[in-house]
Amino acid sequence: PRQGSIFYCSVISEAEQPAVIINALIFRLCPFLVGRIQYERMGSDVTMQCGSLDNDASVSWKVNGTDIKARHRLEGPRLLLTQVDLGHNGLYSCFQNPHGERRDTINLRIGTAPREPTVTCRSNTYPKGFYCSWHQQHSTYIPTEFEVDVHHNQRALEVQRDPVHKNRCHVRFPEVFSSFPYRVNVTAINDLGRASAAISFEESNIVKPDPPERVVATPIPNNVRRLEVTWNSPSTWPDVDNFPLKYFLRYRPLIRDQWQHVELSDSTSHTITDAYAGKEYIIQVAAKDTEIGTWSDWSVAVHATPWIEEPKQITSTTEADPVIGGLISLKPVPTAQTMALTITTHKIK
Amino acid sequence: MTKYLEYQLKEIKDTYLSYLGPPFNEKDFSPPRPNTTALSLPSAATRLELWRGLENRARLAQNQRAYSVLLAAVRELARSTLCPYLQTSLLHFCTGLDGLLGSISGLMTTLGYALPPPSAVSVGGSDGELQEPRRDVEGFWILRELQSWLWRSAKDFNRLKKRLRG
Repeated sequence: PRQGSIFYCSVISEAEQPAVIINALIFRLCPFLVGRIQYERMGSDVTMQCGSLDNDASVSWKVNGTDIKARHRLEGPRLLLTQVDLGHNGLYSCFQNPHGERRDTINLRIGTAPREPTVTCRSNTYPKGFYCSWHQQHSTYIPTEFEVDVHHNQRALEVQRDPVHKNRCHVRFPEVFSSFPYRVNVTAINDLGRASAAISFEESNIVKPDPPERVVATPIPNNVRRLEVTWNSPSTWPDVDNFPLKYFLRYRPLIRDQWQHVELSDSTSHTITDAYAGKEYIIQVAAKDTEIGTWSDWSVAVHATPWIEEPKQITSTTEADPVIGGLISLKPVPTAQTMALTITTHKIK
Repeated sequence: MTKYLEYQLKEIKDTYLSYLGPPFNEKDFSPPRPNTTALSLPSAATRLELWRGLENRARLAQNQRAYSVLLAAVRELARSTLCPYLQTSLLHFCTGLDGLLGSISGLMTTLGYALPPPSAVSVGGSDGELQEPRRDVEGFWILRELQSWLWRSAKDFNRLKKRLRG
């Protein structure tokens, strides 16, 4: 309904849409509400046209409802800005003189054309598939979308965009043990330009499992220098029977900087047998396919201390006890800090 | 044994690519694979479900056939190589490859599987020689495919071991 010169608009969108698309939808229905978006290159000179007014029209301009403070020039229905920067961003409205009717609203957004994105790919779900991620080294300051295509042995592969991470996609391996490389091309696109980057790789070179999970280190009763370590293969690795993993375990006492390492094939447990008695240890595990790829990152660190013998209580004897004599000896116990007193009793005939 | 051969092959491959020179020794270079009868290399690549479903005899037979063809191809590559050091390395490598092939054949016999008939190994032109200028590309792909097979065989034998134990 119209009330004077005020129009009321509402837009109902059934699906979730990014803000840019909502703005575009609203603009089509209610252009005076949001303003059409005008993207311009940083450092350039910009001209904004007030609607479709003739060259001899006289207009005034405001930005975000206030007077334009930046250096500018007016040429009929046009507003000229020079060497724009991010400070020029805003909602510019033009009003036709002499009555001041608003004729147009322009959402000016300053940015840059995209540069070549940086692309990396990895398979942590081998042999199921791999994922690729990309990012821009420098912000463009304006919305930038990405197109991805993947080729293998002259065939285009289906690419699934990640539902959560905007800059990630997933591809299934069409086959395993392939000698042909994969080629991934990512193109960054915005209103000011586009730029592409491509990488090539062989299947075997991008395999990197996730770290092992549920690492547990337990002291072994009555063993002052041992720790039992167990872990699980990463849950993302889909077929550990046919594509087994090998593991790398590292451990050190907290008081030391140097790690000790053990490599293990096809086993998810290991007993450390040379731990320093009574010292707290930090332990981590990494995983790798037995043939190809690289080691995973280290697992979450776990702490454990080998079993410590409890110092025995010394109890006094009474007159009723038949103990006649005894040997008193000092025996070193596991901890260096204390010495325990032990009494060995013998009957004397 | 496949791991040992894989390690040896990596060194030979680096030397061979340096011998071929650019663009073969450039990172990520991969020429089109020759699609001719002159080079009928068995491909290690396979669909995952097919590979999983291979029964023991077929799995061993595929390996046996592959290494028969590849051994002949590497021998021919050695013969046509002009660099003496590379030739010696390739021939030495062939000894190891022959040993692997013998082990596979022996295992098949032990398990009661008949050995596949020797296929007409087709490498090179009608006179068996690798032809210039395709020779460089064919040599590249022989070693590339051999690398894939050694990697695949490790997985094949692991699966075989588990199935035979089970």
